[in-house]
Amino acid sequence: MQASRARLFKEYKEVQREKTADPDIQLVCDDSNIFKWTALVKGPSETPYDGGVFQLAFSVPEQYPLQPPQVRFLTKIFHPNVHFKTGEICLDILKNAWSPAWTLQSVCRAIIALMAHPEADSPLNCDSGNLLRSGDIRGYQSMARMYTRLAAMPKKG
Amino acid sequence: MEDYGSSDEDIYSSDQESYDGLENEEADSQWGSSTGNSCKVITRESLLVAQREDLRRVMDLLSLREHHARTLLIHYRWDVERLFAILVEKGKTCLFAEAGVTILEEVDVDSSVSSSTMMCGICIEEVAGSEVTKMDCGHCFCNDCWTEHFIVKIKEGQSKRIRCMAHKCFAICDEAVIRKLVSKRHPDLAEKFDRFLLESYIEDNKMVKWCPSIPHCGNAIRVETDEFCEVECSCGLQFCFSCLSEAHSPCSCWMWELWTKKCRDESETVNWITVHTKPCPKCHKPVEKNGGCNLVSCICGQAFCWLCGGATGRDHTWSSIAGHSCGRYKEDQEKKSERAKRDLYRYMHYHNRYKAHTDSFTQESRLRETIKEKVANLESRDSRLRDFSWVTNGLYRLFRSRRALSFSYPFAFYMFGDDLFKDEMTNEEKEIKQHLFEDQQQQLEANVEKLSKVFEDPFDGFEETEIMDMRMQVLNLSVVTDTLCKKMYECIETDLLGALQFSSHNIAPYQSKGIERATELNGGRNTKANNNITCQKAHDQTNGGSIELVHPSGCGTSDESGCSSRKRTRKDSGGSFFDLNLPAELIDRN
Repeated sequence: MQASRARLFKEYKEVQREKTADPDIQLVCDDSNIFKWTALVKGPSETPYDGGVFQLAFSVPEQYPLQPPQVRFLTKIFHPNVHFKTGEICLDILKNAWSPAWTLQSVCRAIIALMAHPEADSPLNCDSGNLLRSGDIRGYQSMARMYTRLAAMPKKG
Repeated sequence: MEDYGSSDEDIYSSDQESYDGLENEEADSQWGSSTGNSCKVITRESLLVAQREDLRRVMDLLSLREHHARTLLIHYRWDVERLFAILVEKGKTCLFAEAGVTILEEVDVDSSVSSSTMMCGICIEEVAGSEVTKMDCGHCFCNDCWTEHFIVKIKEGQSKRIRCMAHKCFAICDEAVIRKLVSKRHPDLAEKFDRFLLESYIEDNKMVKWCPSIPHCGNAIRVETDEFCEVECSCGLQFCFSCLSEAHSPCSCWMWELWTKKCRDESETVNWITVHTKPCPKCHKPVEKNGGCNLVSCICGQAFCWLCGGATGRDHTWSSIAGHSCGRYKEDQEKKSERAKRDLYRYMHYHNRYKAHTDSFTQESRLRETIKEKVANLESRDSRLRDFSWVTNGLYRLFRSRRALSFSYPFAFYMFGDDLFKDEMTNEEKEIKQHLFEDQQQQLEANVEKLSKVFEDPFDGFEETEIMDMRMQVLNLSVVTDTLCKKMYECIETDLLGALQFSSHNIAPYQSKGIERATELNGGRNTKANNNITCQKAHDQTNGGSIELVHPSGCGTSDESGCSSRKRTRKDSGGSFFDLNLPAELIDRN
């Protein structure tokens, strides 16, 4: 309990200090609860998520960093490894490949990498996975771009 | 069946008291070394000894430390041969990498003595050099973080493979470090960790299994070469090593599972009931129709319509049950009922015989006591006949043959039925094979019954000549049934199961001397009691005493013959055709 709090506090200070180091990630801690974090990540360029800003919610367990944080998308996203309704993310480092050496910041980077490189063979979003698996790249990209426009971009007017 | 195991000893301790300890010792060591598939009992105490040899082999060959060897063995499921094969095939680096063993080139693993401080990558704190630990993989974190990590993993039940905390590092942590760090904070967890590591030898090893006794005797059994065998634990339980249920050869494990399930839910009976009866609308007992009229009355007095199952009085009257249209399905129903009836009769045929032999087996094992009395009576008589071990040997031959016979019925039920091998053979082939098998089964059956009958006689009142006659009979029949059992197994293994193309069924091989009793490991063979039991059993499994009686001129004292035959017994376990403990003339005669 104390260890996780101390570690999160360290990470918090690191985030404050390095605020400008990674312009794609904006990690914010909940004012009243150090175990709740949110992050805003930019969709990587040359992907259908380009131009979108996606919100992630972190729920950190007391065993952190020995156990991984729970992360989900708050912004709707069309991606094979993200549950379309709940935003749950299927990513090995958030499950059994977790290492205590990861930080919340590096988890965000891993999620951005996942957005750029979807893993169609273990889909949480079957529609999206099937499009990719059947080779319909255009279909997948246009769907993903549409949802990016609808959900992840500031409304104009 | 367990009770036979334990009561063996009573008989034998009375019979074989004359054996002195020295000879037993000698025979015992002979026992362990000369057998092909010798089973070992692994007790809680000898668990470490049991894995020592495997560890030692790996440590010597690869010049490793023990914990590295254990990590390798756990990863390769204690299959030393496979481990060596991978070493030859893929090389040392690959072998180690797959198992998560990393060995740094530099010997200076112990960096905890360095005085400078360092930053722990997990808690992101500056820690004194004395408070950090560097694993074999070279990753260095503070002791608190390591400890927390280990505790989490042990609690998750992953003791056997605790990885380094660094990202993408698959190295398995040094068990000594884990033990040291965890025991400082949680001695009970460290103990649990140690137990997990030790028991991996049983859990992860296909050649070692826990004894299935309830309540658990605490032992595990290790077999050497063949998983398909039947063993007896030192707690007395006899079981099939492959499926851990009671010994059932010549049934395959699959057949036995199906059979016990079938017997348990009596599915055929249920089948019959659903087809042939209807529940009485009043008392709900199943009612079978025995006449032509569709107005049926239950023994409870309620009359009802057979066609729709409705009670009279409401839907119908005594005078009229007209107005039904169920007749159009009649033909189909008839077919269904015929099939159900045929299947049930087939099942009943096999089940009745299986049951009959099992029952005989139970009854004959009660004979044990009376036979013991009779032998005692004979021994008390002043006669030149002294050795009556042929009686007990014959009796054990009867038990073993009876067992094989009873399990041959469920075997036949599945072998020649439609459930398992419908596509394996044509009907003609099946018929030929079935005849072949049934001929052998029948011969065995006849001889087993003869042998059984001999023991019914009140032979303790016999004259000497009559006893000599009986002894000849018992010996002859023993050899015959043994041979026939062997033949039946051969037929099953080669002609029947061996010929299958689409499925593979394995059975425990025929053991002429009965189910092999697992011996204590060399390291654990320290108690005298255990030794004695093993030796008594060892003698039980020979026909040692009989040699002397066939040759009244004598080939020495009974002690000698018993001992020498014991030595040969073990080599025989591979399953040669004749009982090697009997002289050739006797075998030729049959």
